[in-house]
Amino acid sequence: MTVPPIYAFPPLYTRQPNAIIRNKQIDSWEDILLTTARENGLWEIDTEGKFTSQTTQELPPHLQGSIFSNESIGRTAPPLFVKEILSHMLTKGSLVQGGSDTTSAYLVLWKNMDSWASLMLEWCETTNKLGQVVTLYELTNGDESIGWDFHGMPQGLAARCLRLLVKRGRATMLQDEYDRDIAVKVI
Amino acid sequence: MGQRGSKIKITEQDKAVLQLKRSKDSIHRYTRRTNDLIASEQQELKAMIRANPQTYKSNNKVRLLLKRVHYQERLLDQASDQLINLENMLANIEFKLVEAKFLEGIQNGNKILTKLNKEFVNVDEIMEDAAEQIAYQNEIDETLAQNMVGVESYEDEIDKELEAMENELVGEMAPEMPTTEGLPAPQLPQRQQEQVAQSQQEEEVTEQPRQEAPLLA
Repeated sequence: MTVPPIYAFPPLYTRQPNAIIRNKQIDSWEDILLTTARENGLWEIDTEGKFTSQTTQELPPHLQGSIFSNESIGRTAPPLFVKEILSHMLTKGSLVQGGSDTTSAYLVLWKNMDSWASLMLEWCETTNKLGQVVTLYELTNGDESIGWDFHGMPQGLAARCLRLLVKRGRATMLQDEYDRDIAVKVI
Repeated sequence: MGQRGSKIKITEQDKAVLQLKRSKDSIHRYTRRTNDLIASEQQELKAMIRANPQTYKSNNKVRLLLKRVHYQERLLDQASDQLINLENMLANIEFKLVEAKFLEGIQNGNKILTKLNKEFVNVDEIMEDAAEQIAYQNEIDETLAQNMVGVESYEDEIDKELEAMENELVGEMAPEMPTTEGLPAPQLPQRQQEQVAQSQQEEEVTEQPRQEAPLLA
Protein backbone atom coordinates (compact mmCIF):
# COMPACT_ATOMS: atom_id res chain seq x y z
CA MET A 1 0.00 0.00 0.00
CA THR A 2 1.33 3.32 -0.98
CA VAL A 3 0.72 6.46 0.97
CA PRO A 4 1.65 9.74 -0.64
CA PRO A 5 4.96 10.98 0.80
CA ILE A 6 3.18 13.98 2.25
CA TYR A 7 1.63 11.61 4.81
CA ALA A 8 4.96 11.64 6.61
CA PHE A 9 5.15 15.43 6.56
CA PRO A 10 4.53 16.71 10.10
CA PRO A 11 2.92 20.10 9.19
CA LEU A 12 0.14 18.21 7.45
CA TYR A 13 -1.20 17.33 10.88
CA THR A 14 -1.44 20.92 12.04
CA ARG A 15 -4.23 23.11 10.82
CA GLN A 16 -2.60 25.73 8.64
CA PRO A 17 -3.72 29.30 9.42
CA ASN A 18 -3.33 30.53 5.84
CA ALA A 19 -6.55 29.79 3.98
CA ILE A 20 -4.92 29.02 0.63
CA ILE A 21 -2.44 26.63 2.17
CA ARG A 22 -5.16 25.12 4.33
CA ASN A 23 -7.29 24.39 1.30
CA LYS A 24 -4.29 22.65 -0.26
CA GLN A 25 -3.79 20.78 2.98
CA ILE A 26 -7.39 19.63 3.10
CA ASP A 27 -7.15 18.54 -0.53
CA SER A 28 -4.08 16.49 0.36
CA TRP A 29 -5.97 14.82 3.18
CA GLU A 30 -8.85 14.07 0.90
CA ASP A 31 -6.45 12.53 -1.57
CA ILE A 32 -4.86 10.39 1.15
CA LEU A 33 -8.24 9.23 2.39
CA LEU A 34 -9.57 8.33 -1.04
CA THR A 35 -6.36 6.62 -2.16
CA THR A 36 -6.21 4.58 1.01
CA ALA A 37 -9.82 3.56 0.69
CA ARG A 38 -9.41 2.60 -2.96
CA GLU A 39 -6.23 0.60 -2.49
CA ASN A 40 -7.49 -1.30 0.53
CA GLY A 41 -11.02 -1.81 -0.62
CA LEU A 42 -12.42 0.20 2.27
CA TRP A 43 -15.71 1.97 2.23
CA GLU A 44 -16.61 3.15 5.68
CA ILE A 45 -14.95 5.58 8.00
CA ASP A 46 -16.05 6.91 11.34
CA THR A 47 -16.01 10.47 12.59
CA GLU A 48 -12.49 10.04 13.96
CA GLY A 49 -11.05 8.92 10.64
CA LYS A 50 -10.90 5.24 11.46
CA PHE A 51 -11.66 2.91 8.60
CA THR A 52 -13.91 -0.04 9.23
CA SER A 53 -13.78 -3.15 7.18
CA GLN A 54 -16.73 -5.37 6.40
CA THR A 55 -14.64 -8.29 5.33
CA THR A 56 -12.99 -10.57 7.80
CA GLN A 57 -9.56 -9.71 6.53
CA GLU A 58 -7.67 -7.60 8.98
CA LEU A 59 -6.74 -4.05 8.31
CA PRO A 60 -3.09 -3.28 7.73
CA PRO A 61 -1.49 -2.11 11.00
CA HIS A 62 -1.25 1.55 10.09
CA LEU A 63 -5.00 1.59 9.45
CA GLN A 64 -5.96 0.04 12.77
CA GLY A 65 -6.22 3.49 14.25
CA SER A 66 -7.37 6.75 12.76
CA ILE A 67 -5.87 7.68 9.44
CA PHE A 68 -5.33 11.15 10.87
CA SER A 69 -2.75 9.84 13.27
CA ASN A 70 0.63 8.77 12.03
CA GLU A 71 2.52 6.84 14.65
CA SER A 72 5.72 6.62 12.67
CA ILE A 73 6.22 10.37 12.95
CA GLY A 74 4.25 10.72 16.17
CA ARG A 75 1.69 13.18 14.81
CA THR A 76 -2.06 13.31 15.07
CA ALA A 77 -4.43 15.84 13.55
CA PRO A 78 -6.64 17.51 16.18
CA PRO A 79 -10.27 16.32 16.26
CA LEU A 80 -11.63 19.73 15.25
CA PHE A 81 -9.43 19.78 12.17
CA VAL A 82 -10.48 16.21 11.35
CA LYS A 83 -14.08 17.35 11.54
CA GLU A 84 -13.30 20.23 9.19
CA ILE A 85 -11.69 17.90 6.67
CA LEU A 86 -14.55 15.44 6.82
CA SER A 87 -17.20 18.13 6.47
CA HIS A 88 -15.31 19.56 3.51
CA MET A 89 -15.39 16.12 1.91
CA LEU A 90 -19.08 15.82 2.70
CA THR A 91 -19.86 19.05 0.86
CA LYS A 92 -17.66 17.96 -2.01
CA GLY A 93 -19.48 14.66 -2.28
CA SER A 94 -16.51 12.38 -1.81
CA LEU A 95 -18.01 11.37 1.49
CA VAL A 96 -21.64 10.68 2.31
CA GLN A 97 -23.47 10.09 5.53
CA GLY A 98 -23.79 6.44 6.31
CA GLY A 99 -27.31 5.14 6.55
CA SER A 100 -28.95 3.02 9.20
CA ASP A 101 -27.67 -0.09 7.46
CA THR A 102 -24.04 0.91 7.77
CA THR A 103 -21.88 0.54 10.82
CA SER A 104 -19.95 3.78 10.47
CA ALA A 105 -20.77 7.42 10.20
CA TYR A 106 -19.53 8.03 6.69
CA LEU A 107 -19.18 6.21 3.41
CA VAL A 108 -16.14 6.98 1.31
CA LEU A 109 -16.82 7.62 -2.36
CA TRP A 110 -13.63 7.48 -4.34
CA LYS A 111 -15.86 7.61 -7.35
CA ASN A 112 -18.99 9.66 -7.37
CA MET A 113 -22.38 8.01 -7.18
CA ASP A 114 -23.11 8.53 -10.85
CA SER A 115 -19.89 6.81 -11.85
CA TRP A 116 -20.70 3.90 -9.57
CA ALA A 117 -24.17 3.63 -11.01
CA SER A 118 -22.79 3.67 -14.54
CA LEU A 119 -20.18 1.09 -13.63
CA MET A 120 -22.84 -1.21 -12.20
CA LEU A 121 -24.88 -0.77 -15.33
CA GLU A 122 -21.82 -1.66 -17.35
CA TRP A 123 -21.33 -4.76 -15.23
CA CYS A 124 -24.92 -5.81 -15.83
CA GLU A 125 -24.44 -5.31 -19.52
CA THR A 126 -21.16 -7.18 -19.78
CA THR A 127 -22.30 -10.10 -17.65
CA ASN A 128 -25.71 -10.36 -19.31
CA LYS A 129 -27.65 -9.49 -16.21
CA LEU A 130 -30.10 -7.23 -17.98
CA GLY A 131 -33.69 -8.08 -17.23
CA GLN A 132 -32.67 -10.37 -14.42
CA VAL A 133 -33.00 -10.12 -10.72
CA VAL A 134 -29.62 -9.53 -9.14
CA THR A 135 -29.22 -9.45 -5.40
CA LEU A 136 -27.12 -6.74 -3.89
CA TYR A 137 -24.95 -9.43 -2.35
CA GLU A 138 -24.39 -10.94 -5.77
CA LEU A 139 -23.51 -7.53 -7.11
CA THR A 140 -21.07 -6.55 -4.38
CA ASN A 141 -19.77 -9.88 -3.11
CA GLY A 142 -20.56 -12.44 -5.76
CA ASP A 143 -17.88 -14.23 -7.71
CA GLU A 144 -18.96 -12.54 -10.90
CA SER A 145 -18.06 -9.05 -9.74
CA ILE A 146 -14.54 -9.90 -8.60
CA GLY A 147 -12.17 -7.50 -10.28
CA TRP A 148 -14.76 -4.76 -10.57
CA ASP A 149 -14.21 -1.69 -8.48
CA PHE A 150 -17.48 -2.02 -6.63
CA HIS A 151 -16.66 -5.51 -5.40
CA GLY A 152 -16.83 -5.35 -1.63
CA MET A 153 -18.95 -2.24 -1.56
CA PRO A 154 -21.38 -2.10 1.36
CA GLN A 155 -24.83 -3.08 0.21
CA GLY A 156 -26.34 0.09 1.60
CA LEU A 157 -24.12 2.18 -0.60
CA ALA A 158 -24.76 -0.09 -3.57
CA ALA A 159 -28.50 0.39 -3.04
CA ARG A 160 -28.03 4.15 -3.02
CA CYS A 161 -26.07 4.06 -6.28
CA LEU A 162 -28.65 1.80 -7.86
CA ARG A 163 -31.40 4.20 -6.92
CA LEU A 164 -29.82 6.59 -9.39
CA LEU A 165 -30.40 3.96 -12.04
CA VAL A 166 -33.97 3.69 -10.86
CA LYS A 167 -34.32 7.42 -11.35
CA ARG A 168 -32.90 7.07 -14.82
CA GLY A 169 -35.58 4.47 -15.50
CA ARG A 170 -33.08 1.69 -16.02
CA ALA A 171 -33.68 -0.32 -12.87
CA THR A 172 -36.13 -1.25 -10.20
CA MET A 173 -35.43 -2.33 -6.64
CA LEU A 174 -36.82 -5.38 -4.94
CA GLN A 175 -37.42 -5.40 -1.23
CA ASP A 176 -37.41 -8.13 1.36
CA GLU A 177 -40.06 -8.68 3.98
CA TYR A 178 -38.63 -5.83 6.07
CA ASP A 179 -38.84 -3.47 3.10
CA ARG A 180 -35.11 -3.27 2.73
CA ASP A 181 -33.63 -3.11 -0.74
CA ILE A 182 -32.05 -6.46 -1.37
CA ALA A 183 -32.10 -6.92 -5.09
CA VAL A 184 -32.27 -5.00 -8.30
CA LYS A 185 -33.54 -5.63 -11.77
CA VAL A 186 -31.75 -3.68 -14.44
CA ILE A 187 -33.05 -3.46 -17.96
CA MET B 1 -37.28 3.59 0.35
CA GLY B 2 -39.13 1.55 -2.14
CA GLN B 3 -38.84 3.84 -5.11
CA ARG B 4 -40.23 1.79 -7.87
CA GLY B 5 -39.57 2.38 -11.51
CA SER B 6 -43.09 2.45 -12.84
CA LYS B 7 -42.07 1.08 -16.21
CA ILE B 8 -40.30 -2.01 -14.97
CA LYS B 9 -42.59 -4.70 -13.67
CA ILE B 10 -41.59 -7.35 -11.23
CA THR B 11 -43.13 -10.63 -12.17
CA GLU B 12 -43.80 -13.72 -10.11
CA GLN B 13 -40.82 -15.37 -11.74
CA ASP B 14 -38.64 -12.52 -10.63
CA LYS B 15 -39.76 -13.06 -7.08
CA ALA B 16 -39.06 -16.76 -7.32
CA VAL B 17 -35.64 -16.08 -8.78
CA LEU B 18 -35.03 -13.61 -6.00
CA GLN B 19 -35.81 -16.24 -3.38
CA LEU B 20 -33.44 -18.67 -5.04
CA LYS B 21 -30.74 -16.10 -5.35
CA ARG B 22 -31.09 -15.19 -1.72
CA SER B 23 -30.57 -18.78 -0.71
CA LYS B 24 -27.65 -18.92 -3.07
CA ASP B 25 -26.22 -15.79 -1.50
CA SER B 26 -26.56 -17.19 1.99
CA ILE B 27 -24.79 -20.38 0.98
CA HIS B 28 -22.14 -18.30 -0.71
CA ARG B 29 -21.77 -16.29 2.46
CA TYR B 30 -21.60 -19.47 4.50
CA THR B 31 -18.87 -20.98 2.34
CA ARG B 32 -16.85 -17.83 2.67
CA ARG B 33 -17.23 -17.76 6.41
CA THR B 34 -16.38 -21.44 6.69
CA ASN B 35 -13.36 -20.98 4.46
CA ASP B 36 -12.11 -18.22 6.71
CA LEU B 37 -12.84 -20.34 9.76
CA ILE B 38 -10.93 -23.31 8.39
CA ALA B 39 -8.01 -21.08 7.50
CA SER B 40 -7.88 -19.60 10.99
CA GLU B 41 -8.25 -22.99 12.67
CA GLN B 42 -5.48 -24.44 10.59
CA GLN B 43 -3.38 -21.46 11.53
CA GLU B 44 -4.15 -22.15 15.17
CA LEU B 45 -3.34 -25.82 14.73
CA LYS B 46 0.03 -25.02 13.24
CA ALA B 47 0.74 -22.67 16.08
CA MET B 48 -0.12 -25.36 18.62
CA ILE B 49 2.09 -27.91 16.87
CA ARG B 50 4.90 -25.44 16.77
CA ALA B 51 4.43 -24.71 20.47
CA ASN B 52 5.09 -28.29 21.57
CA PRO B 53 6.42 -30.40 18.71
CA GLN B 54 6.91 -33.48 20.89
CA THR B 55 3.61 -33.94 22.60
CA TYR B 56 1.10 -32.49 20.15
CA LYS B 57 -0.05 -35.91 18.94
CA SER B 58 -1.41 -36.83 22.33
CA ASN B 59 -2.88 -33.39 22.87
CA ASN B 60 -6.65 -33.71 22.87
CA LYS B 61 -7.13 -30.10 21.94
CA VAL B 62 -5.10 -30.53 18.78
CA ARG B 63 -7.03 -33.65 17.81
CA LEU B 64 -10.31 -31.93 18.42
CA LEU B 65 -9.29 -28.95 16.34
CA LEU B 66 -8.29 -31.16 13.43
CA LYS B 67 -11.58 -33.00 13.64
CA ARG B 68 -13.39 -29.70 13.59
CA VAL B 69 -11.48 -28.67 10.50
CA HIS B 70 -12.43 -31.92 8.77
CA TYR B 71 -16.02 -31.50 9.76
CA GLN B 72 -16.09 -27.95 8.45
CA GLU B 73 -14.54 -29.11 5.23
CA ARG B 74 -17.24 -31.71 4.79
CA LEU B 75 -19.89 -29.10 5.38
CA LEU B 76 -18.17 -26.87 2.87
CA ASP B 77 -18.33 -29.63 0.29
CA GLN B 78 -22.03 -30.03 0.92
CA ALA B 79 -22.55 -26.33 0.67
CA SER B 80 -20.70 -26.26 -2.64
CA ASP B 81 -22.92 -29.01 -3.97
CA GLN B 82 -25.99 -27.14 -2.89
CA LEU B 83 -24.66 -24.01 -4.47
CA ILE B 84 -24.18 -25.83 -7.73
CA ASN B 85 -27.71 -27.21 -7.48
CA LEU B 86 -29.13 -23.78 -6.94
CA GLU B 87 -27.12 -22.38 -9.80
CA ASN B 88 -28.35 -25.15 -12.07
CA MET B 89 -31.89 -24.44 -11.04
CA LEU B 90 -31.46 -20.76 -11.77
CA ALA B 91 -30.03 -21.58 -15.16
CA ASN B 92 -32.98 -23.87 -15.80
CA ILE B 93 -35.46 -21.21 -14.83
CA GLU B 94 -33.73 -18.73 -17.04
CA PHE B 95 -33.85 -21.10 -19.97
CA LYS B 96 -37.48 -21.93 -19.33
CA LEU B 97 -38.28 -18.23 -19.36
CA VAL B 98 -36.60 -17.97 -22.72
CA GLU B 99 -38.62 -20.94 -23.91
CA ALA B 100 -41.80 -19.33 -22.65
CA LYS B 101 -40.92 -16.21 -24.59
CA PHE B 102 -40.34 -18.36 -27.65
CA LEU B 103 -43.74 -20.02 -27.27
CA GLU B 104 -45.37 -16.67 -26.77
CA GLY B 105 -43.76 -15.43 -29.94
CA ILE B 106 -45.00 -18.42 -31.89
CA GLN B 107 -48.50 -17.98 -30.52
CA ASN B 108 -48.56 -14.33 -31.41
CA GLY B 109 -47.35 -15.09 -34.87
CA ASN B 110 -50.00 -17.71 -35.29
CA LYS B 111 -52.68 -15.35 -34.10
CA ILE B 112 -51.64 -12.70 -36.57
CA LEU B 113 -51.45 -15.25 -39.34
CA THR B 114 -54.99 -16.52 -38.72
CA LYS B 115 -56.22 -12.97 -38.54
CA LEU B 116 -54.60 -12.22 -41.86
CA ASN B 117 -56.02 -15.38 -43.34
CA LYS B 118 -59.48 -14.34 -42.21
CA GLU B 119 -59.15 -11.27 -44.32
CA PHE B 120 -58.81 -13.54 -47.34
CA VAL B 121 -62.19 -15.20 -46.73
CA ASN B 122 -64.17 -13.33 -49.42
CA VAL B 123 -61.35 -13.54 -51.87
CA ASP B 124 -63.60 -15.31 -54.47
CA GLU B 125 -66.13 -12.55 -54.33
CA ILE B 126 -63.46 -9.96 -54.72
CA MET B 127 -61.94 -11.79 -57.65
CA GLU B 128 -65.38 -12.07 -59.30
CA ASP B 129 -65.96 -8.45 -58.68
CA ALA B 130 -62.66 -7.63 -60.20
CA ALA B 131 -63.43 -9.76 -63.25
CA GLU B 132 -66.78 -8.03 -63.63
CA GLN B 133 -65.18 -4.68 -63.38
CA ILE B 134 -62.63 -5.65 -65.98
CA ALA B 135 -65.42 -6.85 -68.32
CA TYR B 136 -67.24 -3.62 -67.81
CA GLN B 137 -64.09 -1.73 -68.54
CA ASN B 138 -63.68 -3.66 -71.77
CA GLU B 139 -67.23 -2.78 -72.72
CA ILE B 140 -66.54 0.85 -72.16
CA ASP B 141 -63.43 0.58 -74.23
CA GLU B 142 -65.39 -0.99 -77.05
CA THR B 143 -68.05 1.67 -76.97
CA LEU B 144 -65.43 4.32 -77.10
CA ALA B 145 -63.72 2.49 -79.94
CA GLN B 146 -66.98 2.45 -81.94
CA ASN B 147 -67.14 6.17 -81.79
CA MET B 148 -63.71 6.15 -83.20
CA VAL B 149 -64.92 4.01 -86.15
CA GLY B 150 -66.95 6.96 -87.48
CA VAL B 151 -63.81 8.99 -87.42
CA GLU B 152 -62.01 6.22 -89.22
CA SER B 153 -64.58 6.11 -92.02
CA TYR B 154 -64.22 9.82 -92.34
CA GLU B 155 -60.55 9.20 -92.73
CA ASP B 156 -61.41 6.76 -95.50
CA GLU B 157 -63.42 9.40 -97.27
CA ILE B 158 -60.53 11.76 -97.06
CA ASP B 159 -58.32 9.06 -98.45
CA LYS B 160 -60.69 8.46 -101.31
CA GLU B 161 -60.86 12.12 -102.19
CA LEU B 162 -57.13 12.44 -102.07
CA GLU B 163 -56.82 9.43 -104.34
CA ALA B 164 -59.24 10.93 -106.78
CA MET B 165 -57.27 14.14 -106.85
CA GLU B 166 -54.10 12.23 -107.36
CA ASN B 167 -55.66 10.31 -110.23
CA GLU B 168 -56.66 13.57 -111.86
CA LEU B 169 -53.19 14.96 -111.55
CA VAL B 170 -51.67 11.76 -112.81
CA GLY B 171 -54.06 11.82 -115.78
CA GLU B 172 -52.98 15.40 -116.55
CA MET B 173 -49.39 14.44 -116.64
CA ALA B 174 -49.98 11.32 -118.74
CA PRO B 175 -47.88 11.39 -121.94
CA GLU B 176 -49.57 12.11 -125.25
CA MET B 177 -50.76 8.95 -126.73
CA PRO B 178 -51.41 8.43 -130.46
CA THR B 179 -55.08 9.01 -131.25
CA THR B 180 -57.40 7.36 -133.58
CA GLU B 181 -58.57 10.70 -134.98
CA GLY B 182 -58.47 11.03 -138.68
CA LEU B 183 -58.35 7.36 -139.18
CA PRO B 184 -61.10 5.73 -141.14
CA ALA B 185 -63.53 4.27 -138.77
CA PRO B 186 -63.29 0.54 -138.70
CA GLN B 187 -66.01 -1.25 -140.41
CA LEU B 188 -68.24 -2.41 -137.72
CA PRO B 189 -71.61 -3.95 -137.89
CA GLN B 190 -74.50 -1.47 -137.68
CA ARG B 191 -75.21 -1.99 -134.07
CA GLN B 192 -71.66 -1.59 -132.97
CA GLN B 193 -71.26 1.64 -134.94
CA GLU B 194 -74.09 3.17 -133.04
CA GLN B 195 -72.47 2.22 -129.79
CA VAL B 196 -69.19 3.78 -130.79
CA ALA B 197 -70.92 7.01 -131.72
CA GLN B 198 -72.53 7.10 -128.40
CA SER B 199 -69.29 6.56 -126.54
CA GLN B 200 -67.58 9.27 -128.64
CA GLN B 201 -70.22 11.70 -127.64
CA GLU B 202 -69.71 10.82 -123.99
CA GLU B 203 -65.99 11.36 -124.37
CA GLU B 204 -66.55 14.82 -125.70
CA VAL B 205 -68.70 15.68 -122.74
CA THR B 206 -66.17 14.43 -120.24
CA GLU B 207 -63.35 16.17 -122.06
CA GLN B 208 -64.58 19.59 -121.09
CA PRO B 209 -63.75 19.56 -117.32
CA ARG B 210 -60.41 17.99 -118.09
CA GLN B 211 -59.29 21.11 -119.81
CA GLU B 212 -60.41 23.31 -116.96
CA ALA B 213 -58.61 21.31 -114.33
CA PRO B 214 -55.11 22.72 -114.98
CA LEU B 215 -56.53 26.20 -114.68
CA LEU B 216 -57.83 25.39 -111.27
CA ALA B 217 -54.61 23.82 -110.11
